[in-house]
Parts: sequence; structure tokens; C-alpha cells
Amino acid sequence: MVTLKIALDRLIPAVDDLPGAGSLGLAENLERFSNRSAAMRSALVAVLDALSLDPGLHVSGGFQALKPEQQDEAIRTVEVALSEKFGQFLKLVYVVYYMDSRVHQRIGWESRPLQPRGFDLIPFDEAVLEKARQRKPFWRKAPS
Amino acid sequence: MPDNEIADVLVIGSGASGGAVAWRLAEAGFKVVCLEQGSWMDPSQYVTRDLDWEFRGMTDWSFDPNVRRRPEDYPVNDTGSAITPFMFNAVGGSTIHWTGHTPRFHPSDFRVKSLDGAADDWPLSYDELAPYYELNDVMMGCSGINGDPANPPRSPRPMPPLPLGPEGIRMAQAFDKLGWHWWPSDSFVNSTEYDGRGACNNCGPNGLGCTTRAKGSTDVTYWPKAIKLGAVLRTRARVSEITVDSRGRCTGAAYYDRDGRVQLQRARAVIVACNGIGTPRLLLASQSGAHPNGLANRSGLVGKNLMFHPYAIVVGAFSDLAEAWKGPLGNILMSQEFYETDPKRDFIRGYSYQMGRSPGPAGTAVSWAGNMVPWGERHHQEFKRRFGKLISLAVISEDLPEHHNAVTLDDKLEDSNGIPSPKVSYKVSGNTRRLLDHGISKARQVFDVAGAHTVMVNPLLRGGGWHLMGTARMGTRPETSVLDRWGRAHDVDNLFVVDGSTFVTSAAVNPTPTIQALALRTADFIIRERREFRG
Repeated sequence: MVTLKIALDRLIPAVDDLPGAGSLGLAENLERFSNRSAAMRSALVAVLDALSLDPGLHVSGGFQALKPEQQDEAIRTVEVALSEKFGQFLKLVYVVYYMDSRVHQRIGWESRPLQPRGFDLIPFDEAVLEKARQRKPFWRKAPS
Repeated sequence: MPDNEIADVLVIGSGASGGAVAWRLAEAGFKVVCLEQGSWMDPSQYVTRDLDWEFRGMTDWSFDPNVRRRPEDYPVNDTGSAITPFMFNAVGGSTIHWTGHTPRFHPSDFRVKSLDGAADDWPLSYDELAPYYELNDVMMGCSGINGDPANPPRSPRPMPPLPLGPEGIRMAQAFDKLGWHWWPSDSFVNSTEYDGRGACNNCGPNGLGCTTRAKGSTDVTYWPKAIKLGAVLRTRARVSEITVDSRGRCTGAAYYDRDGRVQLQRARAVIVACNGIGTPRLLLASQSGAHPNGLANRSGLVGKNLMFHPYAIVVGAFSDLAEAWKGPLGNILMSQEFYETDPKRDFIRGYSYQMGRSPGPAGTAVSWAGNMVPWGERHHQEFKRRFGKLISLAVISEDLPEHHNAVTLDDKLEDSNGIPSPKVSYKVSGNTRRLLDHGISKARQVFDVAGAHTVMVNPLLRGGGWHLMGTARMGTRPETSVLDRWGRAHDVDNLFVVDGSTFVTSAAVNPTPTIQALALRTADFIIRERREFRG
């Protein structure tokens, strides 16, 4: 969990008054949501394994002991080596992060389900068709 | 109707075409039974009622049955396909998941061979189908406005168009500046209350199901009416085989019920409406002494000539747009400036542009244009540049039929009842690639004029197999087609197909109104010519 928390902070760092994704406490959510999708679970496990078990990282004290720029480098190495799994993992990270109400508040997204309220439906204004209506029919005739 | 009674007509599949054909026949007094492997969906439970709707849209509510893996889905082997096929299995079929963008074919789409020397002509014309488009528009509920110069005239739409929104107006003005065609999309999404269903409330991702029932999926349009007229719809009923007598004529179907027991439904005629992949799968699985290579497959063409609409996605990012997620995702406008063949180009046929709005927060970060927002220090800056500020143009290309693009039965993969899964083999042709590249280049021009600061391109949307066509094609000759001009099998006179399998060519528009119009036309043929099916 520590490795995941640190990795999340590197993937989506702090911004304005919001801490990074790991410090927001999203590692647990990530675990929880990954259990609802076999593909995402498999990706999460593969990426964490790669970050935790890389021999080079192990010798030097593990991923968490690295300097931030070294952590980024380690993540980039995994991204290249496990590109498909990493892409799935990153998708999971983004989806969980952008589901969080604190993030919604910062980006200006109303933090509620889309339904039942939706958004106002403003009637269509035909004035916009003024130019398009001037064009003569140009559909291609065909033998019947 | 009791389970053991012989139906006049058995419909297999309750989606876009199954709903339409069942209603029309029930209205004419036929005893109709429909077998559907999925269940009724409860619109009030669709995922947009929850905060995790974007997660669910990528997982257990995905368009892709291999990702979704609901009990009623069957796996599809698509490892040999450049495009991932999509479908949904429920009452309403894939109309549960569609956006309800509903353009029509053009007259030229029915005469590709005569006009452009490629593929084949359809054994019917636009004019023959036009009355059924009109009927279907009323039944499904069409919002739009007539007068489109790129298409033949049509009746006033039952409802006014959905609003363009600031982003739609921006793009309309760009097309105007270039002197290129655009027109508000016809949509089976209510812009006002219609037929007992509410108006759209502009929530956005209508491809995830419509909780207000403003979107015309057949579970809320055709089916309630068909059932009222006496049609029987049996859910969680997965057909394993269409049964035949010693002469090879259909006698009904064998299916697994919700408890996994094998049942038989007898019928005087069978209509298959399982989509362009499910239908050839079922026909190929229905082998018998009379049909050793699969039902109605004397031509060897069942499963061949699979067509998708290969999509390229071009996305513009604008600094002065905001909240461009408000409104149905893809029901705004379309351009058919480059729809028809132009001998000066290096490809034949053409494409439509379908405009799309901005996705939600996670969709923005993940990006269907193929380039995710980067992780790390640049993440927030790049996200801010995109969020609520994106407009897409989908290049919907015409896909010409090719023999090697095919659906066959997988020799290992099977569904939960042990029925062989379909295996899809598909390559994008050179003509299509050149056509898509042209569409990308012209879309860049539109975005330049519209004022986009960045343009992103996905040259081929792998996850874009919404439209499944061509795998049991119509034609005049039994040697070169599976079905006649009414959708009746050449080999079996009481077997009909009414889904996208019947298509001879694909056109360059979303196919569902054409599928439904063909289904209604087939129903009228049965009503008119095949009264003996009525017991």
C-alpha cells in the first residue's frame, strides 16, 4: 500500500490546495475498484509487482526509498516494459481520482450523479441554419 | 400464449429490428413469440444515476461484451480483428447502449456497383425504403428538422432538433465559413415529451442508457406496443439452434431457458434478428442433414463480407469553450460534404462527420482520441487545457464488403451454455485507410477555422465496432447472396433475417434506421404474401 500511495503521488501530484492522489487517500479506493474488474486488478498487481520487485530498486532500499525523480524514472521503466498493463493501470488511477468529490470541486465539476437532474435543455434556434439553408440540394441521384 | 403452442412467427433477438418486426406482425394479427437471451433493463437503474458512472462505462457496463461479461453476454474472439465489435444483450439489444444518432442512407448507397463499379447494388432502392424510414421515425420518436440539402426530402420531423449548444454553433459556423455542408442530426432522442416519454434532460452520455426514457431504445418504443398487441417476449432464452424438418424448412428453435434447461419453441416461420455477428453465429451453428454447412448457407456466404464503419477520431481543444459536456454526446450535427465519390480523390465512396461533445472528467483524462493526459508534473496543466473544452469529429467511413472479413465459429471459445462463440477476422482495406486519412485532413481544416489551439487524432478507433453488417447479405442470385430482396433466405422459404447482416454495402452513416426500416418492410412482405404463416 505504501508503494501504491507514493506512486499515486508521482502520477497525479499535488495541485493548488489538493495533495497528490496518494496523499488524498485514494490507494484504498483503487484497491476496492480494481476488485470489480479482472483486467484492472491484473494491471494493478502487475504494475505494483514491477515497482516492488525490480531487483535494482530492491538493492537500493525499494521504490519508496528513491528520490522523487528516481521514482518517476522507475515508473517510466515499468510504463515501457508493461505498456498495455500500465495503460490499464493508469486508466484505473484516473477514473478513481476523477470520481473524488474534492477533485470535482477543484476542477469545477458538479459532484453529483448526472441523473436525475441532468442539465437545462435550451430549445433549438433555427437562425443558425440561415447559411446552410441557402445551399441547393446536392445529393447524388441514383437509378431506381 | 402457452409455451408449447406453435407460433406463427418466431423472432430471435429483441433489439432494433426484432422489436420493429414483432410490433408490425403483431399489429397484423400474427401470433409472435420472441426469444431474447438478455433481460428487461430498468432505466431507473442505469449507471448515470451513480457517481461511478465513468468507471462502470469502462468495466461492467462497457460496450464490449468481453469486458462487460454479464451472464447474458457471449464472448467474442476478436483477436484477429482490427476493430473490436460491440453489442448489448437485453430487451432492446444494442439500442440500450446506442446514442440514437439516426441518419438515413442516401439513394446512391443502394447503387454502389452501378455508380462506382465496386461491391454490389442492393436489390431495392431508397424510394422503396423511404415510407418505412418515415414510419420508423414516428415509432421511435425522431428529433430533427427537414430541409437538409445533402439528403432527399423527408416529412417534418416529429420533434424539433436537439439544441446545438455553444460548441455545436461554433462548429456549424466553421463549416459555414468553409462553405461545407452541415445539418442538425436526426436523433431518436426526444427534444420534447413524445409518446408518453419525457424530453431529454441533456445529461450527456446517452450511450450508457437513458434513465428518463427520452432515448428511443426498443424496450421503451416498439416492445410495449407489441406486447399490448399480444406478442410474447420470453427473456433469458438463449437460442442454440434453429430447428428444421427433413426438407430443411424451419420448424422453430431450441433454446436454453433461464434455468439452463433446453426448450423447444415451434413456429411456422423464423425471423433472425441477432445482429451482424450473432446472426451468422446462429446460422452457422444450426447445421443439419439438409444444411450441412449451416442454415441457409448454400452460397457459403453466411458470415462473409463483414463490414464495420471504421472510425477515425479528430479532437480539437479550445481555450474559450467551457462545460462542453452538457448535452447528448453525439446528437448534434453532421456533415456530409465528402459523402459521395469524387474521381479526383484516391478512394471511392466517402464519409460523414459526426460531431461529439466533451466527455466527463475521467473520460477527458483517459481520452478516446488515443492520447491519455500524461501523468506526472504536466498532468494538471494538460487536463485543464482539455476539460470541458474538447469537440470531436468522428469520421464515419463507408466500409466496402470483402470476402476475407468474416465471422466464423470459434473451435474453442464458447458461451456459458456451451454454444460456440463467434470468431471475427477483419482488416481495414486500403481504400478505407485513404478515405480516413482524407477525413482527418479535412477535419483539421474545420478545427483550424473553428479556432482550436490543438488537434489530436486517433487514426483508427479500435474500440469502435458499433455497426455490424453484411454477413448474410441480400441479393437477387442465390449463388452470390444469402437472402432475397425481402430478407428471406434463398434456401429456406420460411426463414428471414432482418438485422444488419442483410446489408449489401454499409453506406457511411449509422445503420439503425435502415435496419429498422428493412425489418418493417420484411414484416409487410410477410403480412401481404405469406398469410399461410397465420395459424
